[in-house]
Amino acid sequence: MFYISMFFQYVAQYMKTRLEYRADLIVEIFSDLLFQAVNLIFILVVFDHTEFLNGWSRDEIIFIYGFFLVPYALFSSFFNIWDFNERYIVKGELDRILTRPIHSLFQIILERMELESLFGAVTGLAVMFYAGSRLGLEVSWSDPLLFVVFVLGGVLVYAGIFVMIACISFWADARTSIMPMMYNIGNYGRYPVDIYNNVIRFVLTWILPFAFVGVYPAAYFLGRDEWYGYSFLTPVIGLVFFSLSVFIWNEGVKRYRGAGN
Amino acid sequence: MNAIEVNGLRKEFKAYSSRSGLSGAFRDLFTRNYKIVPAVNDINFTVKQGEMVGYIGENGAGKSTTIKMLTGILTPTSGSVIVNGMNPHRERERFVQTIGVVFGQRSQLWWDIAVQESFRLLKKVYKVSDADYNEHMDHVIKTLDLEPLLDKPVRKLSLGQRMRCELAAALIHNPPLLFLDEPTIGLDVLVKLKIREFLKEINEKYNTTILLTTHDLTDIEALCERVVMLDEGNIIYDGALKSLKERWGEGKEISFEFLEKAELNHLETLTGDLDIKWELDERKQIFTAVTGDDEEIVSQVIARTVAAYKVRDVKINEPSTEEIIRNIYDKGMLQHG
Repeated sequence: MFYISMFFQYVAQYMKTRLEYRADLIVEIFSDLLFQAVNLIFILVVFDHTEFLNGWSRDEIIFIYGFFLVPYALFSSFFNIWDFNERYIVKGELDRILTRPIHSLFQIILERMELESLFGAVTGLAVMFYAGSRLGLEVSWSDPLLFVVFVLGGVLVYAGIFVMIACISFWADARTSIMPMMYNIGNYGRYPVDIYNNVIRFVLTWILPFAFVGVYPAAYFLGRDEWYGYSFLTPVIGLVFFSLSVFIWNEGVKRYRGAGN
Repeated sequence: MNAIEVNGLRKEFKAYSSRSGLSGAFRDLFTRNYKIVPAVNDINFTVKQGEMVGYIGENGAGKSTTIKMLTGILTPTSGSVIVNGMNPHRERERFVQTIGVVFGQRSQLWWDIAVQESFRLLKKVYKVSDADYNEHMDHVIKTLDLEPLLDKPVRKLSLGQRMRCELAAALIHNPPLLFLDEPTIGLDVLVKLKIREFLKEINEKYNTTILLTTHDLTDIEALCERVVMLDEGNIIYDGALKSLKERWGEGKEISFEFLEKAELNHLETLTGDLDIKWELDERKQIFTAVTGDDEEIVSQVIARTVAAYKVRDVKINEPSTEEIIRNIYDKGMLQHG
């Protein structure tokens, strides 16, 4: 309960900060919308040339892409931890975090949120509706509910993986280039995994389970019943990975060495 | 009741050393040389509720490391720390409710938002009720003269203004224990005085325990009756500031400037039966007698010298705390070296 109320306190604070720089805000919203529009056009143009991909139609692939954008947008709004090493370890900002009575990871999420990224979710939904209507998909009463569950599962998968990578900083001093690499790998989740070879497919399912952010849950809404098992695994994998990452985080904080003054 | 109990506290860091040259760098790839360096070396001390303690030491003596262990930021390698009856690291979230922390070189406030918004958010973070907040913070804001700053964003404040706000922010939940790490670094005298006065006041009013590290010994002289001195991870002194002066202060210096030409030899024979030493400055103008603490000798020296020569100026200098402490470190190095 306390954490929920803190969440809204920080959101309110965030809005206030944003409104303070009014011109900035307008420019940013405009550029975000423009970016999303370009993104949308780009998706349609690129997939225009692929009729079928290993048994997936063009519209199905667009649908998967659209689905992927929703958890990805949520992830990028709340888990801006790609610069965790520099900002919190090297500069020692974690000292401050650790002297406050809220879980350290939660504080960092609150401090680093970037709500503008949520626009990506709107694009994702638009893409899904576009592809869905062309495919003639029907929406049943349980779909919105499952959609929320799958999206949250996907967010947790993403968050779990990136929190674990951020945790490397607790053990190794040096900066690593794993973060940008992981963003690249994450993109593979937005295409049907059966187009890759088996090793990559295994990795994307069980080791870096990015497939659970895009293709697996989206397959459910596309009515691809051969993937249903994986679809329903999405929240489970999400919870497992995220819990594991929080556990590693807590262990890591114990090893935090601090930065010299 | 003890606010802080520290027993056999130790923190070790692995210090990697790199070999020289390119071939050395290649060897470092596979086996890195490291040695274990104790930053804090089995220290013991207790601080009673309501005490103001100065924690001093040179850079790298282990001050910050100790403070970070006391505040739950770092986990000790061994030993026990009990602060406010809790283990800081293990019960971190509950524990930090009972302490306030000011790191002089690091801001607690949000850069972009107005000071009062920062306060409001911290009030929520520490779950302070409106009644408590109003009663306590009205007073803090008035004493630290923060009213005109409240609606300004932190980034527009000067260092002195920001520091006062930091201090207020650390006190929002009225903690019984306050850690101040270099709170007056880079501040002008007026702000320093204001901060000191304020600290004294909250100490009296709420019996707040204060642990203070600083390089500015005047802070310590103004606030703390007790000092804990650290050198290379070891406590080399723990006790009253006054007895530190008595024990280590090496007597007095009496400087004379004469109207006529004086001879060092003559002065030495004049005071030959007293246990003193004469020194002459480079410009051969000022003659200085270094004496012990014995008042009798001091007056004897002055009486005899003034009788023998016409004097333009006489000064009696007592070594400052700063000199005493430098002195201790020079000797401390020899003892621990």
